[in-house]
Amino acid sequence: MNGLLLTTQQALQLLLSGDAELWSIVLLSFSVSLKAILLTTPLALLVAFALNHVNFPGRRIILAFFNSLLSVPTVVIGLFLYVLLTRQGPFGNLRLLFTQSAIVIGQMILCFPVLVALGYAAIQASDRRVWETARTLGAPTWFSILTVFYEVRFGLLAAVLTGFGRIISEVGISMMVGGNIMGYTRNITTAIALETSKGEFAQGIALGMVLLSLAFLLTAFLSYIQGKKEFTT
Amino acid sequence: MSEPLFVFRGIEKSFAKNKILRKVDLFLYPAKCILLSGKNGSGKTTLLKIVAGLEKPAEAEIEYSGKSLSWKKAIRNILKEIIYLHQQPLLFSGSVESNVAYGLRFTSLNRKQRRESVIKALEWSGLTDLANIQANTLSGGVQQRVAFTRAWILKPKVLLLDEPMSNMDHESREQARLLLCRMKSAGMSIVITSHVPQYFDGLTDVQFHLSNGQLAESKFSASNDSL
Repeated sequence: MNGLLLTTQQALQLLLSGDAELWSIVLLSFSVSLKAILLTTPLALLVAFALNHVNFPGRRIILAFFNSLLSVPTVVIGLFLYVLLTRQGPFGNLRLLFTQSAIVIGQMILCFPVLVALGYAAIQASDRRVWETARTLGAPTWFSILTVFYEVRFGLLAAVLTGFGRIISEVGISMMVGGNIMGYTRNITTAIALETSKGEFAQGIALGMVLLSLAFLLTAFLSYIQGKKEFTT
Repeated sequence: MSEPLFVFRGIEKSFAKNKILRKVDLFLYPAKCILLSGKNGSGKTTLLKIVAGLEKPAEAEIEYSGKSLSWKKAIRNILKEIIYLHQQPLLFSGSVESNVAYGLRFTSLNRKQRRESVIKALEWSGLTDLANIQANTLSGGVQQRVAFTRAWILKPKVLLLDEPMSNMDHESREQARLLLCRMKSAGMSIVITSHVPQYFDGLTDVQFHLSNGQLAESKFSASNDSL
């Protein structure tokens, strides 16, 4: 018990002293995951919209496919991407393996179905009259889509935050296609795994605290958004 | 009688195996008001949504200003010239003013002209005092007036109203009727669906009844364009 208290104290000291190594890992994590979520969101939300508003054969199957991808283990995506990006793989000549770009691609694959499924649910909860009213008032297709997105903005924001929470806390993809290279591809989760395996618990706990704080913040913000949504409807 | 603005011929529509509309013809004339009656589920709303370009018919021939057009070509003119108002209007998040101004951004008016139009439209409908109120917090009757104003400001040639007075009290109905009379006097063609034709006495020129997917003229009433 004393050991745990001592390690937690050391972790707090590391965090508060502005330890350069630790904070560079935190920054790298945020930078990579923000890129992934920003690149994925527009296309994923358009797919969610199309699944809601466009009638085409196989629509239900595609939706079921995205829903089933919600529970795919991150190591499986990491493995799949590793096979594609390895020197002998079909995209080996792009030399993306063990780069930040590889992690971004992996995290994009991970959060895409989350954004589609949750975005679909948010748009489905919206009133069909939003789209019809926008169209009949002369709005072009793209502006009508934006109008629908604006009317369900709280639900969509919740989807984006959930997707971000999923990718910043994943370890499988980052470890397999990032390679955990210090100062280049080492992020919060891979650093925790490494430090723990070395018996260096202080840095692991400090990084864990950052992730936990982020989780609490995201949950608090989601609750706030939920409250706002109920208030405005 | 002047030339019709739009002619819809042979409209057909089915949902699953249920044929909702069978060879329905509809002629829309300027400054004329059609009242559509029919049982719930008879296809009134579907017919209005097809005419508004919001539902695709299985079959239909469309004439616009005397020219025969395919559905694909007609849809552009339909969305430009015809506005459909839901039974319960959908007002976007934001103020009454922002709702009224919504469609103006797709016109050629500049910012100053748009602002002037909004002020004039709010005065026209007596909504000036409510301009900055959140639109979706208003009562049903006032929301319907906001929806009328949002449509009127765009000066459509045809206005389609689905049960516009179903949730209104007597005073709101009178206000709405007055606005509709003014719209008709301004040359708009109006199509209204309603279970209570008496609400539109003095406004309706012709009444049709929709039954078994077919439209039949049921009554003529005197036109009153004095308002």
